[in-house]
Parts: sequence; structure tokens; C-alpha cells
Amino acid sequence: MAPQDIQQPIKIMLTLPTQAYFMSGVRDFTLGLIKNTTQFGDMWAFRFQSIVDELCNNAIEFGSAPGKDIKLEFLYDGKSLEITVEDTGTGKNKTTAKELTAIVEERKKPTYVNKEIRGRGLSKIVANWTDELKFEDTQAGGVKVTAKKYLNQEKNPTGLQMEEKTHIVLQ
Amino acid sequence: MTEANIAIEDVQSGKADKIIKLVTISGQLDESNIDEKSKQIYDLINQIPQNLNLILNLENLEYMNSKSIGYLTDWYGKISSANGKIVIMKAKQNIADILNVVGLTQLIPMFTTVEEAKFAILGEQTA
Repeated sequence: MAPQDIQQPIKIMLTLPTQAYFMSGVRDFTLGLIKNTTQFGDMWAFRFQSIVDELCNNAIEFGSAPGKDIKLEFLYDGKSLEITVEDTGTGKNKTTAKELTAIVEERKKPTYVNKEIRGRGLSKIVANWTDELKFEDTQAGGVKVTAKKYLNQEKNPTGLQMEEKTHIVLQ
Repeated sequence: MTEANIAIEDVQSGKADKIIKLVTISGQLDESNIDEKSKQIYDLINQIPQNLNLILNLENLEYMNSKSIGYLTDWYGKISSANGKIVIMKAKQNIADILNVVGLTQLIPMFTTVEEAKFAILGEQTA
């Protein structure tokens, strides 16, 4: 869909149970949605697929307890695509927006060496592939994460081939 | 659980001190299956604690998440510290892209054929 064809922003909302089992379907949906309704090319469709997966996995692990929900919202206005993932704050590993922001900022530093299996999703994949990344506490006690990417590359002209220089050898 | 498969085959190295395994990973590695699937690789590393070299054939791998990249990094650390190497062959564009963004392509080289991958492990140059 060309930007001139967008009369009003396209908003799609999904509610998922807190289970990784459903993520394969969400990834397929994300890929199809971006390829079919936005001006982003295949490379960015795959990148958004990863962004959505990582944000949801984070919400499953830290935000919403089993049996609770995760809310996703896709918003495309012809100029940018925004993805919001909101958890309920009921998970046993609950973190606040402030804590998540600090974790991502710390792990984005060139000097940070990740020696863990986890910890690359938000700070390496989501942070590098979005122009804006925002964490907010919700009134219900959860966290809402918003990741936004502009269709033109003016805000991140070199972002396509971004490569971390941090070595991540685990021994 | 999302579908994924790992198949392991022997590759003749011609050198007594180089054990090479071709590890073909297909499907999607994600949060629902990576803990279970990674056990196959850890079993292999435990069975061959020294001189193990892996060629990861990712031709039919459609997706990998950050946790599966974390495991790949862990395998790299264990194998490279035990006189071995890991190389990747035939990765799809989206897989190469995500490995690049986390910096793993600086550590694990990627090739397009098994011959190139094998030569890289044996320390030889391709023609």
C-alpha cells in the first residue's frame, strides 16, 4: 500500500496468551502484514518479525504471568511503523520501565561484553533496528514497550549495515 | 512447539586431529524449542571435548531468535577454547542479517558451499 493511499493510520491490535507456543503464528502474521500493507521491503519485514518476537518473548519472560495476556498493537501511517507490546506486570520476574531502560543502555555500550545466553534481544536486535525505543510503566502495573521505525532512512542513514564491534566470546 | 530439526553427519577431514561434523539445522529456532534442540549440540560437544569442528548448514533455517544466537555464541566459546572451529554455510539473508547485528559474524565466518567451509576449518585456501 503506497503512502498516498493511506487515508488514516492502520491500527491492528492482538491479544495473546502468555505462551511462547503462539509466537510462530505471530511471526507469520507480522511478516505478511508488513509485506502486504506497508512500503517496507523484505529485509525490514524480516527485521520487524524479529523485533515483535523479541518484544513478546521479553513480555512473556518478565512481564505477564502464565494464564495472563500480552497486548500487541501495530500502527502504520505511511511514514512509520510502530509496534507496541504491553504486559500485565504479573510475571515473577517483573521489571519496571526504568530498569529495562537501564539494562538496554548498559548493554548497548561498546564495552559491554555479554557472557550470557540471553540479553541480546532488546539491546542488540530491537535497539539497532528501530529509530525510537520507549519503555513506559502502565497504570495496571505492567510495562509498555514501543518500537518505531521510519520509512525513510533520514533518522538512521547508516542503520542498514550496523554492526556491533563488541566481541561476545563465551568461555 | 515450533518445528525445527537438527541432523548431524560426519565429514571426512583427512586429518587425525580434526573432527568435522556437518550440522544441518532446519525450520525455526525460537523460544519454544531452542532449549530442547540445543541439547543435541551440547551432547556432541560433551562426546568430543577436543578438536571438534562444526559446519552449520543453515540453508533451510528460516528463523532464529536472540536466545538461539546466545546458544550459538556459547557453542562457539566452548569449541574454540578446545582447539576447534565453528563455521556457517548457506545462511539465508535474514539469518545472516540477525547474526550480523549482534556481532556474531565477526567471530563465526560464513560460506556458501561445504567445500569452502571445510577448507576454512582445515586452514586451507580455496582455489
